[in-house]
Amino acid sequence: MKRLFGVSLLSLVLITRLSAQEVDIFGYFEPQFTVIYLDQNYYQLQSNKLRVDLKSNPDENIEFGANFDWLVYHGKREWSFWDFIPKEVTSSVDPYRKARYRFTYDDRSFLDNAYLRFTCPSFDLMVGKQQISLGTGYAWNPTDIFNVKDLTDPTYEQPGHNAARIDWPLRNGFAILALYSPESTWENSGKLLRLKGRWRHFDFSVIGSETEWTLTDYNYPYYNLASFHRRRLLGGDCVGELLGLGVWAEGAYNFVKDSKDFWELVVGGDYTFDSELYLMLEFYHHSLAKSDYRQYDLNDWLRFFHQEQKSITRDQVCWLAQYPLTDLLKIGGSALISLSDGSIAFIPTVLYSLHENLELTLIGNINVGKEGKAYGSNQGHSLLLRSRVYF
Amino acid sequence: MRSTRYTLFLLLVGCLCASNGTAQSVTISADTIIQKVTQVMNPAQSKGKMQMTIVTTSKKTRTFVYLAYSKNHGEKTLMKYLQPSRVKGQSILMLNNADDIWIYFPRTRRVRKLATHAKKQKMEGSDFSYEDMGAGDAFIEEFKSRLLGEGKKQDRLCYKLELTRMAESTSGYSKLVMWVDKENFVPLVIDYYHDDDSTLLEKELVLSDIKVIDKIPTPMQMVMYNRLDRTQTSMEFLEVSYKVNLEDDLFTERGMKK
Repeated sequence: MKRLFGVSLLSLVLITRLSAQEVDIFGYFEPQFTVIYLDQNYYQLQSNKLRVDLKSNPDENIEFGANFDWLVYHGKREWSFWDFIPKEVTSSVDPYRKARYRFTYDDRSFLDNAYLRFTCPSFDLMVGKQQISLGTGYAWNPTDIFNVKDLTDPTYEQPGHNAARIDWPLRNGFAILALYSPESTWENSGKLLRLKGRWRHFDFSVIGSETEWTLTDYNYPYYNLASFHRRRLLGGDCVGELLGLGVWAEGAYNFVKDSKDFWELVVGGDYTFDSELYLMLEFYHHSLAKSDYRQYDLNDWLRFFHQEQKSITRDQVCWLAQYPLTDLLKIGGSALISLSDGSIAFIPTVLYSLHENLELTLIGNINVGKEGKAYGSNQGHSLLLRSRVYF
Repeated sequence: MRSTRYTLFLLLVGCLCASNGTAQSVTISADTIIQKVTQVMNPAQSKGKMQMTIVTTSKKTRTFVYLAYSKNHGEKTLMKYLQPSRVKGQSILMLNNADDIWIYFPRTRRVRKLATHAKKQKMEGSDFSYEDMGAGDAFIEEFKSRLLGEGKKQDRLCYKLELTRMAESTSGYSKLVMWVDKENFVPLVIDYYHDDDSTLLEKELVLSDIKVIDKIPTPMQMVMYNRLDRTQTSMEFLEVSYKVNLEDDLFTERGMKK
C-alpha cells in the first residue's frame, strides 16, 4: 500500500511538474472522526482523505479531468455485520459463520475518476472513469443502477464508474443520453438510454437500462453464494413546482431474469419559508422489501448492508429540515421513518463555515426503533465530526 | 417569483445601462422613467467577471469570483464560479427571466432544479438571494411606479420613484424606493421594503463608480446592505463586455457543465 501511495504521489508530482502551465490542480483534505456506541461499548474510527483533482483543456473542445483519492484509517477498523443484525436473527445461524460477515476499513489509494470529454457541435462524448448521477430523488434514486446513497449523508460524492457516454442535446430543452459501462462481456455490461425533456416548469426524463445484478445467498452453508441476474429497468422521473411547493417523483420497474421483478417509487416535496427554514419530505417504496419486520431474515439484512438492495423496509420517508442560524452556521437534521415497522433514525447535522475554504460538519445517527426493526437501537448510534479544507 | 427581476443580475451581470441621453424634462412620467431604467439595465448580451465579497455579522469576509453571461436582455443568465475552491466549477443557470433556475454541482456532476421558494435562500450566504439575482422587466411587470420628486444621490441629480407591489405580484418585497440618475437612467440607490411591512426597510442597494463600457454606462461597484441582519455584500466588475455573441447552447445544462 505504501508503495502504491508513493508511486501515485510521484506520478502526480511528475504530471503537475510537466504540465503545470496547463493543468488546473485543486481538491480537498478531509479528516474525519467518528464515535460509535454499540452494544454498550464506545468505539472510535478516524480517517484522513486527500483528494487531488486535475483538470485540463488541451483544446477548446477537449477536456481532461481526473482525481486521485488517498484514504487512511485509524482506530477500530475491523467490524462485523453480525453485530448490527438483531440477535433474534443471528441466534438461528451457526456462530462459526460470523467470520464470513466481517469487513475492514483498509487504507486505499485509487484513481476515482479519469476521463476525456470531447465536445462536438451536436453532442458530447465522454469516456473513462466518471461520476454518473441519475434521478431526482434526494435520498433514494430508483433509476440509478450505478450508485446507492449513504442515507446519513446522501449528497456525499459518489465513486466514478468506467463508462462511455454521449450527451446529445436536442431542441427546446430535450436531450438524449446514451451510456455504456463495459464489464467482462456485453451481457453483463451496463447500458442506459435516457430521454430528458421540459414541459412548462417541469423537467422530466424517461429511462431504460440494463445491467447485471448480483444477489448473494448469505445463508448458504459453506460460503456466501453469489448469483448474477440480468436486470432490465424501465423508469422515469420529473421535477418541478406545484402550488408553490417544489415537487419531484422518480420510479422504476425492474425485470429480473430468474428472480422476482420489483419496482421502486420516490415522491417528494420541499419548501423554503421566508425565514429561510427549509423543509423536505420524501417517500420511498421498494416492492422487494418486507412490510413486516418479523420477516426480516439474514439475507435481507446482509443484502441491505452490502447495498445489493436499497432498503430492508418496504415503505419509508425521509424528512429533512435545515435552518441558517447565522450566516456561517447552518443547523438541521433528518429523520428516516419506516412506515412499515415504525422505527426511526434521527440524523442531526451542523454545518459551520470556518473559512471560505474550510467547513466543519457534524452528523449524528441515533436509531430509536425496537431491536429487529429497520432502524433498531441494536444498530447503535454514532457521531461524526468532519472537517474539509479545499485547495 | 418575478420579483427576481428587479434586482441585481441586471444590475450585476448584465447591467446596465445604456442610453447616452441628456437630462430629461421634469415632466417625465414615472412609467417612462421606469421603462428607461429597465431598458438601460438590460443590454442585449453581456459577459463579465465579477467579485462578490460578503461581510458577515461576525465581520468575517467571504470572497467569490465568478463569470457571468447574459443574453436576450437578461432573459437568460449563467454564472460560473471560479473561486473559492469550495465552489469552483459550480454554476447557476436562469432561464425565462429567472422563472426557471438550475444549479450544477461539479463534484457530484448533479444538476438540481430549484423551485420558486428556494429562490428565497441566500446565494452562498450573501445578502443576495437567488431571487435577487434574476433579471428582466420586473420593475414594470411587478410594480406600479409613482414619481415622488427629485433629489441628490452621490452628487447626482436623481428622480425619486416609489414602486408599489401589484396585487398579483409574487415579489418578496412590498415596496421599492429608487433614485434614478436623471442623465443616464442608472438607478443609484434602491431601497427594498419588507414583504409584510411596507414601512420596514430590509435592504439597500447602492450602485457607484459608473463607467461607460461599450457605450453603456455601467456601475462597476454595487453594495447591498442588509439593514435587518447588519451584514453587507459588495459586487464589482473585474471585467465586462457587451460586444459579445453568446451561443444559445451556453445557456443549457450542457453549457453549465462545460
